[in-house]
Amino acid sequence: MILQLNHLHRKPAASTTQEVVDTLYALLEEGRLEREQFARLRVHLDWIQYRQNFRECVMTMGPTNDRRGESHPEEVRIDMRQVTPGGLRDALLRTMMAGHAVPAPFQDAVFLEDFRSFRESIAWGFNHLYWHRLADWEEFTGRSYDQVLPGGKSDANHPGAVADCVADFWTLLRDLENRKQLPEEIFVLEIGVGMGKRSGLWLDRFRALDTERGTKYYPRLKFLLGDYALATLERSRPAVKDHLDLCSFVVVDALNPLKNLAFLRHKVLHIHLTNVYDNLPDEEFARREGRLYAVQVRAYVPAADARRISEESGIGAADIPRTVNRLLEGGPDYLSDRKRGLVFWQEVWLAMRLEERLVSLEDLPDVALPSGLHQEQLEEALEDAPSEVRFHMSSGALESFQNTVPLLHPRGFLQVQDIFVTNFNEYRLGFHGPGKLDGSIVNWVNGVLLREVGERAGYDVHFAPFHYRPGSRTSILYTTQRE
Amino acid sequence: MTLPILPTTVVGSYSMPGWLERLKTEYYARRISRRDLDEIHDTAVKAAIKDEEMAGLDIISDGELRRDNMIDYFAERLPGVQIDHATKKFHYDLYDSKVQGKLPSGPLGLVDDFKFLRANTERETKFCITGPHTLAKRIHNEFYASEQEFAMDLGRVMNPELKAIAKAGAHFIQIDEPYFSGFPEDFEWGIKALNALVEGVEAKIAVHICYGNRYGKPSWEGSYKYLLPGIFDAHVQQLTLEFARRGGEDLELFRELPPRLELGVGVIDVKTQAVETPHQVAERIRKALEVIPAERLFILPDCGLLHLPRDVAFAKLSAMVEGTRLVRKELKH
Repeated sequence: MILQLNHLHRKPAASTTQEVVDTLYALLEEGRLEREQFARLRVHLDWIQYRQNFRECVMTMGPTNDRRGESHPEEVRIDMRQVTPGGLRDALLRTMMAGHAVPAPFQDAVFLEDFRSFRESIAWGFNHLYWHRLADWEEFTGRSYDQVLPGGKSDANHPGAVADCVADFWTLLRDLENRKQLPEEIFVLEIGVGMGKRSGLWLDRFRALDTERGTKYYPRLKFLLGDYALATLERSRPAVKDHLDLCSFVVVDALNPLKNLAFLRHKVLHIHLTNVYDNLPDEEFARREGRLYAVQVRAYVPAADARRISEESGIGAADIPRTVNRLLEGGPDYLSDRKRGLVFWQEVWLAMRLEERLVSLEDLPDVALPSGLHQEQLEEALEDAPSEVRFHMSSGALESFQNTVPLLHPRGFLQVQDIFVTNFNEYRLGFHGPGKLDGSIVNWVNGVLLREVGERAGYDVHFAPFHYRPGSRTSILYTTQRE
Repeated sequence: MTLPILPTTVVGSYSMPGWLERLKTEYYARRISRRDLDEIHDTAVKAAIKDEEMAGLDIISDGELRRDNMIDYFAERLPGVQIDHATKKFHYDLYDSKVQGKLPSGPLGLVDDFKFLRANTERETKFCITGPHTLAKRIHNEFYASEQEFAMDLGRVMNPELKAIAKAGAHFIQIDEPYFSGFPEDFEWGIKALNALVEGVEAKIAVHICYGNRYGKPSWEGSYKYLLPGIFDAHVQQLTLEFARRGGEDLELFRELPPRLELGVGVIDVKTQAVETPHQVAERIRKALEVIPAERLFILPDCGLLHLPRDVAFAKLSAMVEGTRLVRKELKH
């Protein structure tokens, strides 16, 4: 058995570790575990960063459909936050004794879908609903999105970070002007503006710097505020009220900004995104004993939660999947009254878990790597990775990057403020999502793969720690021309 | 060989297949031999020639598929240029290369590339060479007093190779100088270096100047205004320029082009995978015809096609040929 502690900062975990070992030995001695099974165990003790997530306390996962008949390690993942005193033994027994085909906790669970890539999971339908009915959700919970962020506010609006960004941009403009290459119109694009606070701060700062240095760049600015819906963009308008004559509000699909903004190809001198990539559809892969697997998931509501939701909502447990589909298609209003719909939405979301399984890539008829990522690049990136590793493909983020950089002017740069894994080894040092952040999904972004995609697109991708707030987990990705 | 009116050709490179990229990487990792790679290159070049012919081009190139990129292929062949072979991750990246002494003269081995092209098509050919200004910008100079001096010497050293290529039967040679657009302040001496390169070469000479195509994106933006009137000092017979992506705004600048100069007009945007229709191409040609007579107009993509998938590159060339046919018909009436 291999016991792997995927967390470093929580001292009380040591006692739980001992409890895990003792419990597993007890099960072995009682004959509840086979010796051979015991030897194959790989037990991961995770500290799930997001208290709200998609995990059970104990989960098992192994490769499916192994045509070679090889004996694989049996992976057990334990969420240390969910371990309750005395509850571990039951949780382990319940999960491990059931085998992989039909894990015990799910026997009478209500499944919301069949196994599929996480990217295709219904979980993203909830995420989509959250952003499109954010006002309803916020009114119902009494909390704004900013308030539920770790720390209670967004690092996006840090004045120091904004000032440095503006200073870098001004330097670029001056350099272009010196080379007689400054375009008449200076395009800047912010994607995912939310309430527009950062855009407002940025424009205030830029105007002040331009006035101070007498460069007259400000009147030449064309500042585009982009987000997924006009209603959201309306919320950003007050924050830039002093600069409205320079601003345009554009609906932008973060996965493909080029679609709506093709007329700006090779024209935008600066593009900025904050906390967008961590909320784009993603999927996970794993390497086990030299072989690559896709992690497939199946969303379900645990039986106890399903019974409770059923009693509270008057919707039969068997009808929950159909009602969820109606909710995701039509929003909470479609459940006869909005309040009832909002309660159902929130309860299902909080209870929802993801069952997982590994599927060998050889067994998948069609493995499409994200646009811009070539198989040899993935193989090369994995050469430096731990031999056993589970990682994000960050397909949504890669797609977004690939469809954003063509907008950049040849001398322009992209900045993305987000949570990045910049080295595959980090996946062994902690859990990096997916988690639930209020009604949305949050996932760390695979910076190693972004770097690979960037190189082929002609950009070097760098990551700078966000040093403006001690303890911040965010980094700033910025691009430079790959000459 | 008689060319039709509005002859169609490529700027030089053809789509670099993914499998060829991978095999080049295998070669650098020493997993396949030089001999195997040469054979692979021969096969790929023949396929590119065939595609160009099938698309209907009048003038054929070798697709430049032997070349990692427009710099390294020449840097590796220039005697006296030192290359750090450890500095490159992907074949398209550039080596760190430098010159620490006066460049000696010597053959560059390009004549064989041309002979291979000549042997594999019966159509008219074009052979492309990276120019001295662009090479001087990318090869680190640690010897010459200035970049200008370095570029002039590059022109001197490469000139005999061009003469040999012409002697081997090349009627049409194109010099690629995209870095003019990034460094217009060098333009005056860049033209002198270009003239040193082509001096006494008995072939039609074109110079291709675009706004860069590294990794399939432009390296600079601006206007072709800087070319005028200095470009008239260049000892060339044709200018090959990028107009499709940039909207043709600069076309008007070339209304007064001296009669001795032809214009190769870019009518295919190589930085997008969206395939133009023949009618779009025809419209771009008609716009060019407003400023220059058909007898002096050549039809090309904006730049090389190496970053486009093969099916897209082929479709774009086919649309270009079809669009040109539409205009030719109009000219007959």
